[in-house]
Amino acid sequence: MSAIVQTQGLVKRYDRTVAVAGIDLSIGEGEIFGLVGPNGAGKTTTLRMLATLLRPSAGRAEIAGWSVTRNPDEARRVLGFMPDAFGVYDDMKVWEYLDFFARCYGLPPATRRRMIGDLLELVDLGDRRDAYVQTLSRGMQQRLCLAHALVHDPAVLLLDEPASGLDPRARVELRELLRELRSMGKTIVISSHILPELEELCTSVAIVDRGQVLAQGRVADIEKRLRFGAVLRVRVLLEDDALEASRGWFAADQDVAGAVIMPDGTIELGFRGDDAASARLLAASVAAGLPIVSFARAASDLEELFLQVTSPDREPSEAA
Amino acid sequence: MTDVPITPDPEPVVPAARRGRGPRLTAFRHLRQGIAAIGVKELRGRMRGRRAFVILTIYLVLLGGFAWMVELIMERAYSSGFGVSGGTASASIGQGIFAALLMLETLQVAFLAPASTAGSVSQEREKQTLELLVVTPISSLAMVIGKLFSALIYVWLLIAASIPLTAIVFVYGGVAPDDVVRGYIVLIVTALGFGAMGLLASSLVKRTQAAIAMSVFSVLFLSIGTLFLLVFWQAMGSSDNGRGVGPIKGSPPQVLAYLNPFIAQVDVLCGTESSFGIWCSLESGLIPNRNGVIFQPGSGSDQAVPLPAPAGIGTGGFVAGDNGTTIDTTAMSPDDIQVLQRKLAIANGGQFAVPADVVPFGVTRDALWPKSVVTWFVLAVLFLVVSAQFVSPTRRWRLRRGPRAEGNEA
Repeated sequence: MSAIVQTQGLVKRYDRTVAVAGIDLSIGEGEIFGLVGPNGAGKTTTLRMLATLLRPSAGRAEIAGWSVTRNPDEARRVLGFMPDAFGVYDDMKVWEYLDFFARCYGLPPATRRRMIGDLLELVDLGDRRDAYVQTLSRGMQQRLCLAHALVHDPAVLLLDEPASGLDPRARVELRELLRELRSMGKTIVISSHILPELEELCTSVAIVDRGQVLAQGRVADIEKRLRFGAVLRVRVLLEDDALEASRGWFAADQDVAGAVIMPDGTIELGFRGDDAASARLLAASVAAGLPIVSFARAASDLEELFLQVTSPDREPSEAA
Repeated sequence: MTDVPITPDPEPVVPAARRGRGPRLTAFRHLRQGIAAIGVKELRGRMRGRRAFVILTIYLVLLGGFAWMVELIMERAYSSGFGVSGGTASASIGQGIFAALLMLETLQVAFLAPASTAGSVSQEREKQTLELLVVTPISSLAMVIGKLFSALIYVWLLIAASIPLTAIVFVYGGVAPDDVVRGYIVLIVTALGFGAMGLLASSLVKRTQAAIAMSVFSVLFLSIGTLFLLVFWQAMGSSDNGRGVGPIKGSPPQVLAYLNPFIAQVDVLCGTESSFGIWCSLESGLIPNRNGVIFQPGSGSDQAVPLPAPAGIGTGGFVAGDNGTTIDTTAMSPDDIQVLQRKLAIANGGQFAVPADVVPFGVTRDALWPKSVVTWFVLAVLFLVVSAQFVSPTRRWRLRRGPRAEGNEA
């Protein structure tokens, strides 16, 4: 798989702050690539540099072989960008909105008409063709904005926090839409701090914090590489002293780093072992006569990973 | 992390579609497409529904009412009869109506043109739509040109709609068709220049309110400020009969007059007068070295000093001087003027010079408004180019250093 989006040592400096401190990304064609990080990590700045909206202080970025600094016009023709916060024009109908952007890309009238029909079908706004843009719901506007980024059939889509401000149903619809776009061969770069969505959707992610990439690759690979341990949540049918005794039993195990009784009566174990080790622990605890009700790994993997990687007590990077 | 300096990229392969076309032609085609895209979008918004045409109708009704009232005033003034014959009275009424309409339309253009462009870029910033536009291949120049002309089309439509109304003056006479053409050229170019000024304000600041405030103050400066400066300079420069003892020497810079569209219209109106009337005297009061003014550039006192020669001096604004130094004779008594004449004649060995384009006491046509038109045309182009710079987010020029809001959030 060849890289369609590539950055090398991408840096964005402002007077006193460094928003992006040397990011290397390599995103293959047809991927859905997640840029994950807390607010202020440099995700938006990175995307804006890729979208030719910000000039990098140093480093290079290429989209489909076009440098965003040297050939911004060519790069703009192969990328579609949907910003985090975007507005809509008043006094404009849905089809006029798309027609306007299609004209901006210099599409001939026949292509424009066909494209507008197809796109409105794709984003499920076919029946809103003649509605005024400002009367659409937030989710519809988001889909319309996505459609506008597609008028010139770009190879790469840059979506900055596309799910922010959407209700759960709209999120599901957006996710379906992105899958469909991927099946059409588009490369999609998404930034988000909402993890569960990306985990299901993305083929690869880069975890970004303080302007640097902390980990990059397939979700499963990153997980393996950065495994510091997991949290096991055990529910035992015991109370008070007996519960405390069972906590002591778990804490004595070789793979358990710590054991805490939560207010709801479950025991949380900091666990160092892998899946085989957790199976052994479960078997041992049952053999020891503990009445186990449930025994499960807590939290979604990527979220847990994310919290570990970007924890505030982590050593501050030199750039921050 | 060490910064990797931006290295020259290898030349990317040119796609087949782009091969074989001259780069200049392609650039021009893109510019045209961009202007058309913006223009269509803006006009769809501006001209939607009845609003634009209702405003046009109200505007014409008000303008018509104004012209009618001016006609009545002029008629009353002349029917009280001060030995004005019927024919001259009709011509005077025509000139009066023309002057009133032209000044009102200039006032309207001076405020309407910048007001209709002052929101065009800042509004996109406020509504966060500018970025969507910037990531398209549309160039910044195409964007500002498209925005300027789509805003100006409505202003020009108002101007054009007033032409039939202004043509009423032909019924009265006193105004030639080419006078009307001159007036309208000034109006159209003023709309262009002032519109570009509003656009520049809009591209410089973030808020539309600030852009409108900037535009209004600029208009006030250009219409009232320049006038006041001219009067002030003139008063300072000529208070000591041009000897240059006062704080300001010589005549005021004429550029001040070029910047004021009202003075350009005064010049046009002066052209309608068959003798040295109120508009011409107003103009010569502001810009000394024209009607009735004899002026010759010289570099020293040993050179020929321009001389007032014709008899009857003092009936109009008559200024003499050298090196641009002027003496306003309108306020001098005939005796003083004669003394002055004699002194100057002696100093020059009885010579005097009359530049070819100046007719003493006659009416010099087209002395000022063409310069005003050229000035505003050049300024409009300049404003557009600067606006384009400030619209682009990756521009090189910045008003202030430091992180900007658009790049702060990460």
